Amino acid sequence: MNKANSEPDCRGSDSLVTLLRGAGARYTATVRVFITGVGVVSSIGLGKDAFFRALAEGTSGITPVEAFDVTNLGREFAGEAKGFRPKDHLTALEARRMGRCSQMALAAARMAIADAGLDGSALKGPRAAVVLGTTMGEADVLGDLDHAWIHKGAAGVRRAMIPKYGSTLLPIHIARAIGSEGAVLTLPAACAAGNYAIGYASDLIRSGKADIVVTGAAEMLQELQYSGFVRLAAMAPAKCQPFDLNRQGLILGEGAGILVLESEAHATRRKAATLLAEVGGHGMTCDAYHITRPHPDAAGSIGAMRQAIERSGITSDAIDFVNAHGTGTKANDAAESKVMREIFGDRKVPISSMKSMLGHCMGAASALEAIGCIMTLEKGLYPPTIGYETPDPECDVDVVANHARSGAHDIVLNNSLAFGGYNSVTCLAKPFKLPEPAPFSRRSAA
Amino acid sequence: MTPRHVTGLGIACALGTGAEAFFRGLADAKRLSALPPSAIASFDVSKYPDARIVEVPDFDATKYLGDKGLRTLDRLTKLLVVAARLCLHDAGFKKDNQWVALAPEQVGVVCSNAYGSLEAITELDRVAKLEDARYINPAKFPNTVSNSASGYVSIWENLRALNVSVSDGNCGGLDAVAAADIFLESARADAILTGGGEAMSEALFLAFQKLGVLGPVTGTADRTATGTVTNDTRLGEAAVFLALEVPEVSKARNARVLAEVVGYGTAFFAPEESPLVFPSREATRRAITSALVDAQLAASDVDLVVSSVAGLPRFDDEELAAIRDVLTDTAVVAPKLAVGETLGAGGAVGMAASLAWLGGAPVAKDLVVGGGLPVKIRNVVVTSIGYYGNASAVVMRSPRA
Repeated sequence: MNKANSEPDCRGSDSLVTLLRGAGARYTATVRVFITGVGVVSSIGLGKDAFFRALAEGTSGITPVEAFDVTNLGREFAGEAKGFRPKDHLTALEARRMGRCSQMALAAARMAIADAGLDGSALKGPRAAVVLGTTMGEADVLGDLDHAWIHKGAAGVRRAMIPKYGSTLLPIHIARAIGSEGAVLTLPAACAAGNYAIGYASDLIRSGKADIVVTGAAEMLQELQYSGFVRLAAMAPAKCQPFDLNRQGLILGEGAGILVLESEAHATRRKAATLLAEVGGHGMTCDAYHITRPHPDAAGSIGAMRQAIERSGITSDAIDFVNAHGTGTKANDAAESKVMREIFGDRKVPISSMKSMLGHCMGAASALEAIGCIMTLEKGLYPPTIGYETPDPECDVDVVANHARSGAHDIVLNNSLAFGGYNSVTCLAKPFKLPEPAPFSRRSAA
Repeated sequence: MTPRHVTGLGIACALGTGAEAFFRGLADAKRLSALPPSAIASFDVSKYPDARIVEVPDFDATKYLGDKGLRTLDRLTKLLVVAARLCLHDAGFKKDNQWVALAPEQVGVVCSNAYGSLEAITELDRVAKLEDARYINPAKFPNTVSNSASGYVSIWENLRALNVSVSDGNCGGLDAVAAADIFLESARADAILTGGGEAMSEALFLAFQKLGVLGPVTGTADRTATGTVTNDTRLGEAAVFLALEVPEVSKARNARVLAEVVGYGTAFFAPEESPLVFPSREATRRAITSALVDAQLAASDVDLVVSSVAGLPRFDDEELAAIRDVLTDTAVVAPKLAVGETLGAGGAVGMAASLAWLGGAPVAKDLVVGGGLPVKIRNVVVTSIGYYGNASAVVMRSPRA
């Protein structure tokens, strides 16, 4: 069976040889994965520098909704990326071809690639992949199609709009723009999608299937989603106050957080790479309990955090800070506090929720927050949970309340939970602060 | 890739629900273009007298799941949960809905879907637009979220290792295999239900009809006369899960092995000047080549190609050309001609059909679109060409090869 692999026809493609380097990989190597560039579209700023500054200052991006009419909904606030103008980042053709979600994703990808110091050709070819997360993808495109159908009938639906719909398209648009020829994949993992994408991108590199991956997540604010969360009684009236006794729920947001991940070898080969952070272990479980509510015992969530720590080759003692999922709902914050007690025992590890500033950016949330974690690793600043007023005995955790706090900053965890019982935790660290990764393969590990 | 054992199948598609019914239907499969229209239950089709669509016939989720808890679930979710339950029983993980092998923490889900639950989204949109957003049913709102159906699979079947929803259009059903392989290799699970689902809805049908891809394509000659493919696409629906296991685990429990998955390849290739919707021969060629190398097989080892040819000339021709670039005269079949274009489930349908053929079942002549059928089928390449320059391929082999 183990024949020479020369027989498949490789005519007409210089890059096929490169492509085949990854095929047939047998998972024996240990590979460190680094983040070398980030890009941000958010309600509190565009680009890394503005985003870090706003996080450090505790800036709120929560403002009255302008994208659609919320008059009858009883809620009026969101974290809209009002400063995002597609024409500042995309060509006219690109902007026409895609909905707002892809527009934000591509804009953030371009920022990340520039931040990584990559030139135009560095991402071309089959060893570069694009893996993105989202909850709903091009929700505006579907909304427009649907509204045309409802009000004008099938004849009113514009044919040219149809191919623009589908969460599949997010990585496709980026791959087209950067010339990557490896995997293009969307992971629609709802509000944990960013972590899922970062984790899977890291797995692609560690398993030898890619050298460099553009990853992260994007989500746009859309009317149906907004209305749905209101009807679930999950939306707070004016501010999101994670872990506060009087918290009233979440406030939706939007944005895109994109990261460039590279293998150590790839990053080292090119002189321009700056190692912003190392991607450690990634934990992933499913509650299998309820479509919207976290399991009250938080067993799945605890399992995911435990996995992230163990797969990083460390113990919980090494964790300096936890970025909470921290939606500001009663159930989420209580369950997350339980996870913290279970994992860290009596040690009060600082925890904070960027959603108090950004709003809950759904699929994009944990990607944006992973970038926020890089600020912590880089500057030693924990972003604050703004609006925190009254401690909740049920949330007996060390909340970074209202103002950024300095502290140890070698290794952090980025926690996320989602509809469908999805639990996902990513460990991020200063470069080379983690032990050498274990071999990827279960057999090698054994 | 490290070989993975396929130990179970759960499927609901136009050829039947359950592995046995599917294999029976497949053995005698006819091209949909040659059959009279079938009954449609998912929406009122009377407005569309010539609708070129096909559903899972007489699908009744209560038959498999009971009466309780189904009221707020959409069609996609019901199809996927049924396929998962059937797969778990077929693989011997469960008997009479009780675990008899492995445990919930050892079994995960990787599920492909291309377009989400359009049924749920359009229903709630109608309420919001024609009545008031305040009247949206909160119990149905979660169905609008893309990973909802996949999440319900874990909830209904108590699968806790992981649940990952993937989307790569028509290629997602095969990409799910790549993700499952990585998760099995990195010991996140010992077995993973791997596959995908796509459900019929009025919105999905309208979109494809509006694009002018259903039924005879205007201005294109009927190519049946050439002995290859018709130009008559039918939109279908399906939910498919294959139980993929680490061989050490399946051997330890003495599981029946239906086939092995031994290779995977994917590629994206869309020149700058190409339109957004672009069938990529080059990507397909690379995906097949890469999958063969991954499987450590030569082109001459391949006995059958299970293609994603669906009756849409612009895409079929590029896919067939790419197959011929790599596998010069290997027999090519097209199960979609009998089950319809099943989009995010399509690759998984191709893998399900491959189980039958690797197991020695005869290939229905109506599904052959190229080459002469071999006497024995030991190695199969399953291909999917995407709408946007993407393509993927999976290599499966007979456990007796």
